[in-house]
Amino acid sequence: MDRVVFESVQKKFRHRPALFNWLGTERGGETVALKNAAFSVGPAEVLVLLGPNGSGKTTSLKLISTMLLPDAGSVRVGGFDTQRDAGKVRRQVGIAIAAERSFFPRLSARENLEFFAALDEVPRRERWQRIDEVLRDTGLDEQADTLVMKFSSGMYQRLGIARALVKRPSVLLLDEPTRSLDAATTAHFWATIRALAAQQTTILLATHNFAEAVAVADRLLLLHRGELLADRALGDCENAEALRSFYFQTTGEIDERDL
Amino acid sequence: MTTLDKLHAILRRDLLTAVRHRSGFVVTFVGVFTELAAFYFLSRAIGPGFRPDGVEYFPFLLVGTGVYTFFVMSAQAFLSAVQEAQQTGTLEVLMTTSTAPAELVILSSISAFAGNLVNLLIYLVAGVAVFRASIHANFFSCALVLVFSMAIALSLGITAATLQVAFQKGAALLWLLSSGIWFLSGTMFPIQSLPRPLELLARAVPLTYAIDGLRRALLEGRSVTAMAPTLAMLAGFAVVMLPLALAALSLSLRRARQNGTLSFY
Repeated sequence: MDRVVFESVQKKFRHRPALFNWLGTERGGETVALKNAAFSVGPAEVLVLLGPNGSGKTTSLKLISTMLLPDAGSVRVGGFDTQRDAGKVRRQVGIAIAAERSFFPRLSARENLEFFAALDEVPRRERWQRIDEVLRDTGLDEQADTLVMKFSSGMYQRLGIARALVKRPSVLLLDEPTRSLDAATTAHFWATIRALAAQQTTILLATHNFAEAVAVADRLLLLHRGELLADRALGDCENAEALRSFYFQTTGEIDERDL
Repeated sequence: MTTLDKLHAILRRDLLTAVRHRSGFVVTFVGVFTELAAFYFLSRAIGPGFRPDGVEYFPFLLVGTGVYTFFVMSAQAFLSAVQEAQQTGTLEVLMTTSTAPAELVILSSISAFAGNLVNLLIYLVAGVAVFRASIHANFFSCALVLVFSMAIALSLGITAATLQVAFQKGAALLWLLSSGIWFLSGTMFPIQSLPRPLELLARAVPLTYAIDGLRRALLEGRSVTAMAPTLAMLAGFAVVMLPLALAALSLSLRRARQNGTLSFY
């Protein structure tokens, strides 16, 4: 059975200017984030969402996590609808979003993870062991007791991944997870993704990075201005260059290297 | 067990955050003593002849300002937590945990209110021990007034959070608390001193009953039976306000998730 299912999902964001808009230049209107998106992802599958800024990648992840609700259509996780059974969906989903500073600054990395693990109902007897594991997996074990207000961007990002992993979700959502990571940590992270998939975790990863997509993906969704342009498997022999060409041909965006 | 575990996690987070703001406690204690000293000398300047509701003016002020500060600071602490969570992006992440939003809000507010309840007790104890305010407490009546007052304060905090999530204007409720309600709730003078229409308006304010109830229970030692009408009013406000506040918050969170405005501030 598919673990994540999108059926004709539509999402728009409406912008209403302020009451006294003549004082400024704010524009009203709406942004279409997703148009009739339909796809599904199975267990043990790594699906990469690729597309330019504003294509609907983050919106898709937020819809699965229940941070956002669809305007039309439905999003189901493990057979549960994100609108009707949000609680059951949240128990299955872990998300690492691109917002770096979504932590309590005067708590250490370990204290932050303990806090979120409690809210995620990680059993007490397993909690400390799991936290040690994810701190080690994300290379934060030496900074575990440092207040996160002293963290760099890359460390925040690693902690975000650790937080998503600590509940051992069956669906893992990652939004540009390696944006601020160094090369060694990135390579280790890609290996972690493959290992999690081998343990039946469903992974959806939004990225702009062709090398990352090739390194981790089983399948690729190409999004452009809220439309799903391509949904295809990634072959073993596919490389980042070939994917890059496919991306620019399909989206019609201009590759600066060709100028 | 799970709920207690979550409450423990939230209390620990707030306590650790508070103690790591190193100067915060010192500022709070200096503020408490300065305020009490000002009220003590004000009541001496006015003289012993002024006995509002039949009690000395300093204890009258002590309870009035203590309960009022408890309400305002609790709502303020809770609102600040929501605003900070919006600004850092923590609110969105908190809404994706396995804890239901309503449960999360109630547990978080318990933490905010617990801290301010401790402050209220320190304020009252300092007023009695240092400035010799005379009290004749009925502890059972005091406990009941505080329980109902906490439920009402919780509703106000949740309402402020709702306004913050829905319109990014939670501070509006605090403004109302710190201006109109301060004036109407009998904090500094008995509401019977107000013109009749304002006195009637004051009787519709839950804080009026919380302040009056604690004065009766703490300063006059009135029994639960003697205070039944005041306790019934407080219970009535709590029973009506708390479910309404929770329903409004639930609606505003759903609307924010629909509009994508959860982290707007």
